[in-house]
Amino acid sequence: MSKDHLFSSYDQLSSTWDEMYSSNSEIREQYDMIIDYLKNTSKKTLSKKEELSKQLFMSQGVTFTVYSDNEGIEKIFPFDIVPRIITAAEWDKIERGIKQRIKALNLFIKDIYNEQFIIKDGIVPADLIYSCPNYLREMKGVKVPHDVYVHIAGVDLIRNNDGEFYVLEDNLRTPSGVSYMLENREISKRLYPGILPRNNVRSVSNYPNLLYKKLQELSYNSNPNIVLLTPGIYNSAYYEHTTLARLMGIELVEGSDLVVKNHFVYMKTTNGLKQVDVIYRRVDDDFLDPLEFNAKSVLGVAGIMAAYRKGNVNIINAPGTGVADDKATYVYVPDMIKYYLGEEPILKNIKTYQLGRPDELQYVVDNIRTMVIKKTDGSGGYGMLMGHEATDEEIKDYLDNLRKKPENFIAQPILKLSTAPCYINGQLSPRCIDLRPFALSGKDGIDICPGGLTRVALKKGSLVVNSSQGGGSKDTWVIQ
Amino acid sequence: MLSRVANNLIWLERYMERGNGMLSLLKVNYYANQDSPELFSWEPIIRNYNASSEPFHTEDAIECIEFLVFNTGNPNSILNLVIKARENARSVQEHISRELWLSLNNYYLYLTRKDLIKKLREEDPIAFLDELKKYHLTHNGTMDITQERGPAYYFMNVGKFLERVIQISDFTEMKLIEIAKTSDSLEQSFYWKNLLLSVGGYQLYLKTHKSSFQENHVITMIFQDKLFPRSMYYCVSKLGRHINQLIEIQELEKNNTEFLLGKLESTIKYTSIESINEQGLHNFILGIKEDIRNISMSINTVYFSHSS
Repeated sequence: MSKDHLFSSYDQLSSTWDEMYSSNSEIREQYDMIIDYLKNTSKKTLSKKEELSKQLFMSQGVTFTVYSDNEGIEKIFPFDIVPRIITAAEWDKIERGIKQRIKALNLFIKDIYNEQFIIKDGIVPADLIYSCPNYLREMKGVKVPHDVYVHIAGVDLIRNNDGEFYVLEDNLRTPSGVSYMLENREISKRLYPGILPRNNVRSVSNYPNLLYKKLQELSYNSNPNIVLLTPGIYNSAYYEHTTLARLMGIELVEGSDLVVKNHFVYMKTTNGLKQVDVIYRRVDDDFLDPLEFNAKSVLGVAGIMAAYRKGNVNIINAPGTGVADDKATYVYVPDMIKYYLGEEPILKNIKTYQLGRPDELQYVVDNIRTMVIKKTDGSGGYGMLMGHEATDEEIKDYLDNLRKKPENFIAQPILKLSTAPCYINGQLSPRCIDLRPFALSGKDGIDICPGGLTRVALKKGSLVVNSSQGGGSKDTWVIQ
Repeated sequence: MLSRVANNLIWLERYMERGNGMLSLLKVNYYANQDSPELFSWEPIIRNYNASSEPFHTEDAIECIEFLVFNTGNPNSILNLVIKARENARSVQEHISRELWLSLNNYYLYLTRKDLIKKLREEDPIAFLDELKKYHLTHNGTMDITQERGPAYYFMNVGKFLERVIQISDFTEMKLIEIAKTSDSLEQSFYWKNLLLSVGGYQLYLKTHKSSFQENHVITMIFQDKLFPRSMYYCVSKLGRHINQLIEIQELEKNNTEFLLGKLESTIKYTSIESINEQGLHNFILGIKEDIRNISMSINTVYFSHSS
């Protein structure tokens, strides 16, 4: 085998599931066609394709701006040209599993803000809820349309070395990344002419229409005025906000464009105030209404929560959904599924230790080198301790801090994220990946766009896929 | 339409149009300056377009172009104008055509290329300026062909023609200051010719009046010609047309914008060249600028009146 062969440096990680190679180093069937194509394409052409993908992201403005020295620099979210492929059978299970999970989580949120049966029945402890920073007292007893709280969810899945998909996190607040799912596909169409149809890749382009339909259903008005509320141009997901607004044909608004009068929300237009019926907000709960939450927020709208409680406007996702995607609540999701639906969970949770419990804390401390510890309210890969790569001193500092409030931390065994082939420096190399499918809930049930966002830890050996820490993404093909 | 969106659309075009005008001015002055630096100094242009707090002096043509195109400290540099125009376009993407956004984004990417400054320093400066101008031509053409005739289009055109009117006034005044410094009628005619070139009316002037530069003819053409797309009269009546469209579809309140425009239009149209000369072109321009300021203010009230 020549040294510059495409696969010559494909060193599989030990006891790790590889999406392309089976355990006896044969190419899995679903990868046949694309690997065939890559093999028969010169390195020069592949590198050109990689370059082209970068240019396309730039010229389409699929960028975020990083400001330094008063100068804005446009950055792109790194994109790997080799698609991640999921078979119909795998997808079927993922789809059923996420639907089941979202259904249960939605019932849980409704229960928590109303009768709280799950607490009364002793399934979930009351202090778990009341100590959760994302529990909103302001939502108690609020009637939401069709009892749907989580309209848009982006559930993070990983594949362990047993080949099973596990849920890593339920993102039920304002999950982002869906624009990359859409854009990555547009790029693939241009990189691989003819390959998508021959592989029977399921289309994702219907997402904006589907989302619009779900938003529309929430209003009793047949032609509701729906807007997308963005924190503004400096937000790193601003590209996504503009894209979704454009693709749905709705107005992109900032907090200062809205005003509340007599418990109705209006937008300030050139011919006066116009009532707003549905707000797809990409602003966190905490910044939504300076009268009720963070008083310093200039991103939200004063009085919007009162208008919401009166039923005069709909807010998507409902405020307070964070109570259900907190890392401490995560532990109870399998119990919720059994409690509300009477079903066994289709997708597994990762074994999680609650460090508020002395015996579990002790176990984790004893096995710290095989553990990852996370803050229950943390996200974006921050505030984590990866036991296998931390220094003794880092572990000591982390534990000292942890012991002040151990109930704010959980631990999980370090999982082997599955790897997928990535085109790096002219060769295919395995890199760790996860998967974030996007689920939309409405009055007629839950729809999941086939595929989602596959995030890649582009650094060799890294398990952190977050874009803020060296992660990139891939197009995700669900085939057949 | 959201008031903020209307405001962003107006300014998007104002920035683009200002950039376009500056590029013309730079190109014309470059040629003239290489001929007779003593008549065509860079100083008036820098004075007019340096909005930074730092004064800047140079008579080196390339340094001057570099300053006005790339300087990040000058809010009026082409780079800053395009950054602002792109930022405005980015925030109103659901209102403008996809093609318009893409072409503006490409202009921005071109302008921020690290090796571009080298092109100016080492290659043909006219080719450099022409390349930038081409992005403006593309922008205008794309807008014309792809943008539906609706509020977004009308607001953008309001911005475009407001800026153009201001530009014609500024260009003329810049030259009037130079003209006042000399009593040599040949030199004066150079300035008038240069003004025609800067506003892009040189060819039409030749066709109409042949190669003889008479002050009265130049003023009449730049201020009152009905067919020249960069005459004051043409731009004011276009401005009026777009404002009336907005009033018609109730995107703009009638208040007194309509009246102010009608008044300005007839002042320009019916003031005879004798009467302009009598009051002095400078005073005539001051009057126009005052009217434009009032019109601009009265449009501004649109996005401030509903803000509470």
